[in-house]
Amino acid sequence: MSFFRKFRKSINNNKPKTDSDAIFSLSSAYITLETKLGLKNTGRCAVSLKSVSGMHFSEMKNDIQRFLDASKAEFELSYNIVTDSYGYLWVILQGKSMEDILAQLIAVGDTIQDKGFSSHLLAAVFEFSDEGKNNNNKKHRQYLIYNYKYNKFYPFVPIGQEIRNTEEEMRIMAEIADEIPFERDMTLWYPLWDLPLEP
Amino acid sequence: MIILQWYFSDRIVLWSSGAKIVTREQFPKLHDIIERIVARNNLPKPKIAVITTNMPNAFATGKGPKSSVVAVTTGILDLLDIEELEGVLAHELTHIRNRDVLVLTLASVFSTVAWYLMQFGFYGGMGYGYGGGSRDRNNGGGMILVIIGAMLTWIISFLIIRAISRYREFAADRGSAQLTGKPVKLANALMKISGTMKQVPTKDLRRVEGLNAFFIVPAVTGSTIGNLFSTHPPLEKRIQKLMEMEASMS
Repeated sequence: MSFFRKFRKSINNNKPKTDSDAIFSLSSAYITLETKLGLKNTGRCAVSLKSVSGMHFSEMKNDIQRFLDASKAEFELSYNIVTDSYGYLWVILQGKSMEDILAQLIAVGDTIQDKGFSSHLLAAVFEFSDEGKNNNNKKHRQYLIYNYKYNKFYPFVPIGQEIRNTEEEMRIMAEIADEIPFERDMTLWYPLWDLPLEP
Repeated sequence: MIILQWYFSDRIVLWSSGAKIVTREQFPKLHDIIERIVARNNLPKPKIAVITTNMPNAFATGKGPKSSVVAVTTGILDLLDIEELEGVLAHELTHIRNRDVLVLTLASVFSTVAWYLMQFGFYGGMGYGYGGGSRDRNNGGGMILVIIGAMLTWIISFLIIRAISRYREFAADRGSAQLTGKPVKLANALMKISGTMKQVPTKDLRRVEGLNAFFIVPAVTGSTIGNLFSTHPPLEKRIQKLMEMEASMS
């Protein structure tokens, strides 16, 4: 049992994963999160990249907008593009199903990389809701962060001003670390405070 | 010698660590937690001792389930919340239930005997070596075999003791998980005790990226150095196993 798991893990680790492969692995892992931990996908996700001034960057931004406008109707998708106080551009997507927003997010990431801004990509963020199971029906947001530099996911559960729930984060790790490319080094679980995902 | 060592083990440990047996009046909460665990699981209640030091730690000692002591430091009482403390105490109670002191004492019999044989053979062999004469030289050869044999026995039993002790730790973790039903609390406690809790960063990713932009080579994160010199891979293993138990319980 554990032998096979190790075997599978070593295969997974050796396979050179592209960002889109890695991100798409969420299409099964999110079901695990829902059935095992009661975490419901909110249909919201975002990709963030370092914003720079210049023609190429705004051209890319326009391309993304054009692309999202075109697929808006078909996928019942809404989107928003904002720049945060750190100077990072956020492309925020809201859709009906996980599969849809994954596909859209991967396409946006591909556009960014095609335009030569892959080194600017910071993270993709996926939002979940604990449906109030922890705290007398008060819903809390929990996140999976995909780091483009390390090509790995890690959990982020903020519970207050610069306070995170490590216990809940470890639970998430226990459930899905074998299913998706997962960052097992907890010292690299850098948070993203004040995410601009809220509608 | 070994029997004496086992017989006095608890007193030696308590005396050398400066642990004081405490009554219910002195530490009511601590007594409460332990009584809750033993009552739920039909175990005899051990004596409880406290060591006054900031170092967070806990241990169990004693010859058998009936005459055991669980000792905790004041540091661990300050550091952990009640559920985490419960996990740690259940871990120690499992050590007692599994008679781990006895197991390890028995396991060390071989290594102790081998150690004395080695010493004896070594000094004995020296004496023969300088003696000269064919008969003595033959004897010296035999002695060398004894030394090598004893050395091998000692090394092997040393490794076996390490393995047993590691295995017993895992077993106690598992026991704690069963007694409390909350392995994640013990995992939390282990992280707090080892200081790993502080290593989960609170610094924003965007701020970290900003800093790295100043360097041509990305700044070395603490973890890389930590991994190189880390002496505690077992902690990660223990946490991993605890979280697997947590996953299987949910």
